[in-house]
Amino acid sequence: MSDQYSNEPMLDMFVFETTQLIEQLEQIILTNEKGSCFTPSAINEIFRIMHTIKGSSAMMMFTDISVLSHTMEDLFYYLREEKPNYIDCSKLSDFLLEGVDYIKGEIDKIKSGDDTANNPSELIKTLKEFLVTLKTENNSIALNKVNSPVKKPQYYIRQEKSITTIYNNIYKAIIYFEEGCEMENIRAYTIIHNLKDITDDYYFLPEDIIDNDNSAEVIRQQGFQIYFKADHAYDSMHEFFMQTIFLRELDLIQLENDNEYKHLYEKKQSNIDSINILQNNPIKIPEIHNMNNAGMDKEKQASVTTQSIISVSIPKLDKLMDLVGEMVIAEAMVIQNPDLKGLEINNFQKAARQLNKITNEIQDLVMSIRMVPLSATFFKMHRILRDMCKKLGKEVELEIIGEETEVDKNIIEHISDPLMHLVRNAIDHGIETTEDRVSMDKSKTGTVTIEARNAGSDVLVIIKDDGRGLDRDKILNKARKSGLLYKREEEMSDKEIYNLILLPGFSTKEVVSEYSGRGVGMDVVSKNIETIGGSISVDSVTNKGTTITLKIPLTLAIIDGMNIKVGKSCYTIPTISIKESFSPKEKDLILDPDGNEMIMVRGKCYSILRLHKLYKVSTHITKFTDGIIIMVEQEEKTLCIFADELLGQQQVVVKALPEYIQKLKRVRGLSGCTLLGDGRISLILDVAGLINI
Amino acid sequence: MKKVLIIDDAAFMRLAIRTALEKSGFQVAGEAANGMEGIQKFIELKPDIVTLDITMPEMSGLEALKAIIKFDANAKVVMVSAMGQEAMVRDAIMNGAKSFIVKPFKEEQVIKALNQILEM
Repeated sequence: MSDQYSNEPMLDMFVFETTQLIEQLEQIILTNEKGSCFTPSAINEIFRIMHTIKGSSAMMMFTDISVLSHTMEDLFYYLREEKPNYIDCSKLSDFLLEGVDYIKGEIDKIKSGDDTANNPSELIKTLKEFLVTLKTENNSIALNKVNSPVKKPQYYIRQEKSITTIYNNIYKAIIYFEEGCEMENIRAYTIIHNLKDITDDYYFLPEDIIDNDNSAEVIRQQGFQIYFKADHAYDSMHEFFMQTIFLRELDLIQLENDNEYKHLYEKKQSNIDSINILQNNPIKIPEIHNMNNAGMDKEKQASVTTQSIISVSIPKLDKLMDLVGEMVIAEAMVIQNPDLKGLEINNFQKAARQLNKITNEIQDLVMSIRMVPLSATFFKMHRILRDMCKKLGKEVELEIIGEETEVDKNIIEHISDPLMHLVRNAIDHGIETTEDRVSMDKSKTGTVTIEARNAGSDVLVIIKDDGRGLDRDKILNKARKSGLLYKREEEMSDKEIYNLILLPGFSTKEVVSEYSGRGVGMDVVSKNIETIGGSISVDSVTNKGTTITLKIPLTLAIIDGMNIKVGKSCYTIPTISIKESFSPKEKDLILDPDGNEMIMVRGKCYSILRLHKLYKVSTHITKFTDGIIIMVEQEEKTLCIFADELLGQQQVVVKALPEYIQKLKRVRGLSGCTLLGDGRISLILDVAGLINI
Repeated sequence: MKKVLIIDDAAFMRLAIRTALEKSGFQVAGEAANGMEGIQKFIELKPDIVTLDITMPEMSGLEALKAIIKFDANAKVVMVSAMGQEAMVRDAIMNGAKSFIVKPFKEEQVIKALNQILEM
């Protein structure tokens, strides 16, 4: 990497922009592949993307990326300029995606600080060969089709160059440019262009600076020589040349006679003419209406100057989120401070309410900043689908609904992998082969649908396929063998049986090959979703397809919670899951035949969970009538939680549980912990977990 | 301090140029991500000098240059180009660009070119 640009912001920006461009590119490739072939605008766009990546990577000295993108740029330059008729699009897409993957891989390595280079020379070679084939194929087609003469640049040749002015002085200048300034021929042209204001009698070497870009090399070696006549004195001419940008050396001599000049004179015409031709080309100037008025229109001006979007690094946002979290806690600590108990402090309360309002607003705002639409994650699936379909020889369409749904940035990171897994499963195990589908009277092309939609403080992500569905019996057999049946078989609903595949230990890697149903690491998917406080459920209809629903919280960080007390411990229940809370009456309490405690509420029976028993907390409130019952609901299942008393509602900042509670002790039914206003620690109950205990 | 306007569709390039310039005491008056925005900013910010990328979507650097020169014939515009775009650079010079820098460039090249053009 170049030292001068090795500073962090540059690298970050490089990684950021290149990643964005690559994603954009991938999307263009995939959309165009679906159509017949690349549209002109897509070709132009790809050309531009490769051009940008080439430039930036060259600056950062990532030579491999730069060379590869240069090759791709060349290819698309040809496509853009020549518009060949015959292109093997599928091959082209394959190459492009290979390139995309390579660059992605390199960017990942750059991000992780991995120095091992992966040589793209094979791919570059293939690309170059592809371009050559493309050229030959299309040339022969073109020749066969039209017998049109090859267009040669046509120069307008003037009859006679008439030099109207007679100049007094004759000069010879030899100019060397600085090393590494590049395009020396165009730099030389710049001088000639400026010299035209001084004289129209000049000659230069090498002559072909306009048509031949290799002349740059000649100038590098031998310098750029100009012979010219002018009225200007030596000093003023010297000054003129000294203004040349990237000038390394100037050798300006005033010639005594014009022998040397005359000698070269004959050859002069063509050069000047070709320059003149360029000169005489009509210059189109884009018409920009009202441009001149823009300066006067202040309001318009303001709208132009304000930059509407800036990029902020994620660690900074995370930090901000953390701080806001701390602030919410600190606010609670102040407002609910035990020292304030029983005091008549109206003014304080007023101020506290104001503070509370502002903290809430800040919090909402920070949350919204972190919200990202799911579209990018969803669109990644197109690529997986494409690759898998090619490999498996299946025809599958991907339907995406509600990709504009937004969730917290952190959550996106957590669901990307599970989603990929589920889509893979759907294509691999769910969708049948084309022949099977046809024989079953299904449409030839299978469909995988990914849908996202808001549901309260959650987002539902639904992955649906119209494949063969899950095999109920096989799942039951497998679960029986692994001893995973938590209920009697006869009592289990179909849905409960399908959901068995989510249990840890249901499937192992070896099973994949022999087991044609689903279940490849589904427990991993389920674990991933649970770590972010989400839940997953499976539903399936034989030969109609499988639907997997992920329920994901909008955000991880701050939730509305109800604090409850059991003995000396505090617990927090997410308010969203609470249906009601009440003090039970003796007559509503019943025992089922197994001795489980139940409560009758409005004619329906619910089981009661004693928190003090579950977490072995000592409390003197053990009679239901002394405490309080909180009815919670998750996924249409309801549970009544018994606690000592309610402490109050509060926004709580979710902190992860320490490793040893999560992993070593495997305490069930907890999703995190939080700090209360008085500084006590409260455990956040995982309602879904509790219901399934 | 001399005011510079950077017109480039690649954010990375804008940052690269900005970094180089700010180190050497230039003031980056503004950035524009396309030709049209570039022209508007030019009119509004009246920079002492402009760096202008040649390849940009929608309105190319060349078209932007023509518009800028039409607005102010003495505008000091330095083109930023990649290798292999000789023809476009030449057109730019013909249409009034003062000079050009070629990507990948070194910081000192940018500074040198800009300083020299400003002295003209």
